[in-house]
Amino acid sequence: MSTVTKSTVTTAKPVAKMKSRSQGQEAWRRLKKNKGAMLGLAFLILLVIVAIASGYIFDYETDVIGINPAEKLQKPSAQHWFGTDNLGRDIFARVLYGSRYSLIIGVGSVFIGLVIGVLCGALAGYYGGMVDQVVMRINDMLYAVPNIMIAVVIVSLFGTSTFNLLLSLCVTVATAFTRIARASVMTIRQQEFVEAAYAMGLPTWKVIFKHILPNCLSPIIVQATLSIGTTIINASSLSFLGIGIPSPAPEWGAMLSEGRNFIRNSGYICVIPGLAIMFTVLALNLLGDGVRDALDPKLKK
Amino acid sequence: MGRYLLKRLLLMIPVVLITSLVIFGAMNLTGGDPALALAPDNATEAQVEMIREELGLNDPFIVRYLKYMGGMLKGDLGTSYVTNKDVFKTYMQRLPNTLELGCASVFVAVLIAIPLGIYTAINQNTWKDNVGMVFALFGVSMPNFWLGLMLVLLFSLKLHWLPSSGRNGLASLILPALTVGMGLAALITRTTRSSMLDVLRQDYMRTARAKGADERRVIFRHGLKNALIPIITVIGMQLSNVLTGSVLAETVFAWPGVGRLIFDSISKRDTPMVTGCIILSCVLMSLVNVLVDVLYAFFDPRIKAQYVRRER
Amino acid sequence: MKKKLALLLSVVMLLSMLTACGGSSSGGKTATSEAGSQSSAAAGSATEAQPTDDSGIPPHKEELIIGTTADINNLNLQKQQDAVNNIVLKLTHETLIFFTNEGTIEPRLCTGWEYLDDTHIRFKLHDGITFSDGSPLTAEDVKFTYDMGLENGLSMLNGLVETKVIDPLTVELVIESYSNEFLISLSSVPLSIQSKKAYESGMDEPYLIGSGPYKLDKWEPDEYVTFVKNENYWGDKKGVSDRITFRPIKEASTRAIALQNGEIDVCIDPSIDNLPDLEADENVTVFQRPGTRLFYLGFNVQQAPWDNLKLRQAVAHAIDRQAIVDTVLAGKGKTQTTILNRGLWSFYDEMEGYPYDVEKAKALLAESGYTPSGKLPILISNESDYSQVAQMIQAMLKEIGLDIEIQVVEPATLKTECNKGTQGLFLWRWNEDSKVDFVYRDLYYTGSPSNYHHFSDPRADELTDLVLTEKDPEKRLQYSQELQTYLVEQCPQVPLYIKDLVIAYNKNLQGTYLYGGGNHDWRFAYVAQ
Repeated sequence: MSTVTKSTVTTAKPVAKMKSRSQGQEAWRRLKKNKGAMLGLAFLILLVIVAIASGYIFDYETDVIGINPAEKLQKPSAQHWFGTDNLGRDIFARVLYGSRYSLIIGVGSVFIGLVIGVLCGALAGYYGGMVDQVVMRINDMLYAVPNIMIAVVIVSLFGTSTFNLLLSLCVTVATAFTRIARASVMTIRQQEFVEAAYAMGLPTWKVIFKHILPNCLSPIIVQATLSIGTTIINASSLSFLGIGIPSPAPEWGAMLSEGRNFIRNSGYICVIPGLAIMFTVLALNLLGDGVRDALDPKLKK
Repeated sequence: MGRYLLKRLLLMIPVVLITSLVIFGAMNLTGGDPALALAPDNATEAQVEMIREELGLNDPFIVRYLKYMGGMLKGDLGTSYVTNKDVFKTYMQRLPNTLELGCASVFVAVLIAIPLGIYTAINQNTWKDNVGMVFALFGVSMPNFWLGLMLVLLFSLKLHWLPSSGRNGLASLILPALTVGMGLAALITRTTRSSMLDVLRQDYMRTARAKGADERRVIFRHGLKNALIPIITVIGMQLSNVLTGSVLAETVFAWPGVGRLIFDSISKRDTPMVTGCIILSCVLMSLVNVLVDVLYAFFDPRIKAQYVRRER
Repeated sequence: MKKKLALLLSVVMLLSMLTACGGSSSGGKTATSEAGSQSSAAAGSATEAQPTDDSGIPPHKEELIIGTTADINNLNLQKQQDAVNNIVLKLTHETLIFFTNEGTIEPRLCTGWEYLDDTHIRFKLHDGITFSDGSPLTAEDVKFTYDMGLENGLSMLNGLVETKVIDPLTVELVIESYSNEFLISLSSVPLSIQSKKAYESGMDEPYLIGSGPYKLDKWEPDEYVTFVKNENYWGDKKGVSDRITFRPIKEASTRAIALQNGEIDVCIDPSIDNLPDLEADENVTVFQRPGTRLFYLGFNVQQAPWDNLKLRQAVAHAIDRQAIVDTVLAGKGKTQTTILNRGLWSFYDEMEGYPYDVEKAKALLAESGYTPSGKLPILISNESDYSQVAQMIQAMLKEIGLDIEIQVVEPATLKTECNKGTQGLFLWRWNEDSKVDFVYRDLYYTGSPSNYHHFSDPRADELTDLVLTEKDPEKRLQYSQELQTYLVEQCPQVPLYIKDLVIAYNKNLQGTYLYGGGNHDWRFAYVAQ
C-alpha cells in the first residue's frame, strides 16, 4: 500500500542551507493559504487533544473495556451518543479513547521507520557501490514480501502486542524512506555546495548530516505525513485478518473488524470507527499534500 | 546500459537467496508446528510423528534449507505440505487471477485519477482543486475491506446489480477492481496533478497559448503529453505492487488470488508454499522494478549519467 | 474542457452500468436445464447395477452451489485430516458402515456384520458394487484400504490387527481386544474404500476413484470444486443434482449476501449476527438443530497456578455461561455442566457442577490460598467467536479479582503451545458426534497429544478403558457417567456451551441430511424447481 512516488525525486531540488529559515517561513505562509491542508491540520490538532484528554475523561477499565451485555447493540441515543457495541460498550468512549492507539501506532511506527529508513537510504545514496547494493537488495526483498507476512512472522515470534505491531508496520515504512532518502541523496551529492563542504575538509558524517540530509527534508516530511495515514490503515487491515492489536483494546481497526458482522442492522458499530479512520487519514493526506505543495521550490514566484 | 541491465538481473540472485533464507528461517522460527497444524485434532502421537517424518521436519534446519535450495536450483520449488501439489504450478494457477484483478484495478485507478489530476491542476488553489483532491483521497483514506463491504452492501444486496463474490466473468471483477482501484487512485491523481502543474508553467505552453491555440488542445496535446512520464512511472510501480495480490479485497470478494494463497499458507505453516510464492513474487517484482528503473534512467538524463559514471 | 470531462465520466458510468446489467443476468438465477436432468436419468438407468425406476427424478436446478467457509485442500483420503475435505469426499466415496445424521450406524457397502468372537468381525459385501471407473469393488479393496490406513497410522484404526479376505465378498477384521466403538470408527470418511486396481495401475491421483454417487469434475483452488454424477454408481438411491459445487467464501457477511443474491444455494455457518436478515428473507430458510461442538475454557493443570483445584473451581463458579450464550450466540446454543459433547451416548448432565455464583467463587478463591498477582494469560486462536468469549471471561474474572490478559495467536500456534503445555488458560473446542472414547481418551487420557489440559489421573484413565471395553451396557453406562462426574469434579475445563448448528439455504432446497457436527451429507440435495 505504501508506495513511494519516484516522482518526488525530481522535485527534490537542492536549496542552499543559508536560505533554509526563510524558506521555512515562506513554506508556512504558502501552507496557510491551502484550506484543505489547514483543515487537516486543525483536525489533527483536535485529535491529539482528544487523545490526551480521553485518558482523563474515561476510565479505561469501566468505560472503555468494561462490558455490559444488558445494553448491547443500542442505537445512538442521549445516553450513548454513538450507540453501544455487541458487548454493550459505549462506542463514543471507545472511539475517542481509540485515537490514542491509532496515533501511537501511526506516529510511532513511522518515526522508527523514518529513522531506520533515512539512515540506510542516506548511506546507500552517499557511498554507492557495495553499500548501496546491499541496502537496496535487502530493501527490494522487504518490498516484495507482503507486509502481512512480515507482521505474521513478528506476531508469531513475539506474540501480539502494540509494540510488536509497531515493529511489524515500521518495516514497510522504512523501505519507503530508504528509497526516498537514497534518491534525494544521490541527486544532492553531486551539487556544488556539497563539493564545497568537502573542499573545506569536513568529515563525511558531518557532510551527510549538516549538508545533505537537511536538503532532502521536504520529500521526507511529505512522506512521513502520508505514511502515518497508510500505517493506520495497515494496522486496521491486520485487525481484519485477525492479527492486529488484541481485544479488548479499542483500536479503530479492531473495532471495525469486530463490528463488521453487524454492519447490516447496527451499521453505526462499523461506520463510526470507519469514519474516524477515514477523517484522520484524510486529514493527514490533505496536510501532506499541502506541505508538499508548500515546500515545492518550483512554486516560488 | 546493457551492462547495467545485466548487472541488475544478476543482482536478483542474491535477493532470491536472502529472501529464501529469511522466509524459510522465519517460517521455522514461528510458533506453530506444521505437523500439528496438519494433523487432525485427535491424532495420535504416532500419527503426528509420521507426518513430521514425511515432511522431513525431523531434519535440522540447515539440512532442510539446503535440501530446499537444492531443489530450487533444479527449478523445483517443492510441494505444499497441505495439498501435496507442486508449488510452482499452484502459484502459476493463481497468478493470472491476481494479474486480472491487478490490471483491472490499475485501469480503474487511471480512469479516476488522470481526469481528476488534470482537473485539479487546471483549477489549482481553488475550491474545485480542494474538492477534487478530497475525492481522490477517499479511496486511500479508508480501509480497503471496509470499502469493499460497503460496495457489496450497495451493489449486491440493495441493488442486485453485481455478484458479491467469486471470479465469474466481467461482472464479478467490477467490485473488487473498484475497491482496490480506489485505493490506488490517490497516488496517481497526486502525481498527475503535480506533473501537470510543472508542465503548465513551461514556456512552450505559454508559446502554444500565445499562438492562439484552443485551451483544450493546449492541455491535451502539449500539456498531458509532456506530463505523462512521471505518471507512467507511478502506474508502473502500482502494477508491481498489485503483483503480490491484495489479501483484503481477495478475502472480502472470495477472489482466488496470490495474496490469499500466501496468507492462508502462512496460517497453515506451509513452509514450501510460502517460501516459493514469495520468491516468485519477489522475482516478478524485481523484474518490474528493473524495467521501471531502466525506463526512468532512460527518461531522466541525470540519473542515467550517474549509472554511467559508476560503471566507469 | 468541462464538457469533455463530463463526457468521459458519463462514458465510464455507462460502461460500468452495461457490465453491471450483464452481470446480473448471468450471475443471478441460473437457467433451468430440463435436458440435463433427463440425460442423467437416462444414464442412470443404463447402468445395470440395480434395476430401478428412475422416472421419479424431480424437476431441479442443474447445479447445487454450496458456499463454504474454507476451500478443500487435499482429496487424498488418508493423507488429509480436514472436515472440509471429508464433507466433499462423502459424495465420491463410501465406507463399509455409514453414520447417519440421527446418530446411528447402518451398513453401507456391506450387507451386515457378525462378531465371530470378541476379536473377529466378519463383513459381507454387497454384490455388484462398482467404482467410478466401472471396475468392481471387492474384499481385496477393503483389505488394501485398511492396510494402507494402518501404514498411514490413522487413529480410527487403533486396535486393528489384520484384515483377512475370506472370499471376494467377505472380509474379516481381527482386532486386539473387544471395543465398543470400533465399528463406529469404520464410518470415518478417511476409511472409505479405495480401489486397489487404481493404485496398482500407477495412475495419477488414484484416490479419486471411489464408489460414491458423484465424482470429481474440476477443482480450481480457492475458487470452486465441482462434482458430477458418477454414471457407474451401483446404488439404487442416486443423487438428483447434476452438479454439486462447493464455493469457498471466507468472509461471513459476503457469504450471507451471496445467498440472498442467489449466487449460492447454501450458506454454511452464517454469522449469528446476520441471522435476522436471513430469517427476514422470504427466499431463504434458516435451519437450526442442536450442535455437537463443545466450546470450553481449558486449564493446563500442570502449569501454576492452575494446578490448584480450588482455584480452577473458583474460576468455574465465576463464569456466567448463560450470559455468554445470550451475548455471543444470541441464544443459539446451550450451556451444560458435563464435559461430554451433548448428543453422545451416555451424556449425563445431572451433576451439581459449578453454577454461576460470584460469592462462592470468591470463597473458593480465598480457600485456594492463591493470591492474585500479575496478569494471567489466556491463549485464544484468531478464529470464530473466541475473541468475544475471551473478553467476557476477562470481565467476569475481574469480578473475583483475577486479572486476565488475552493473547491471540493463530490456530497452528495454539495447538503447538497447548501440545507442549506452555499455556495456562486457553479457549478451545471439541467436536465429536459419534464416539465417547474420542472425547475421554483424546482430551483426558494420560499422554494423549490432544490432552491440552495435561491432565493425568489413574482413576480417569481406568474408567476410560472400562467404558471402551465393558460389554454389559448397564455397567458401561454407569462407568461413563461416573467418569463424567469425576472429570467435572476435577475441573480440567469449564464447559461453556454447545453452539447450535445453524445453516441457511434456498427455500427450495430438498434432500438434505444435516449433521449437528457440521459434517453434512449432500449426496441427495437439490434445489427443486
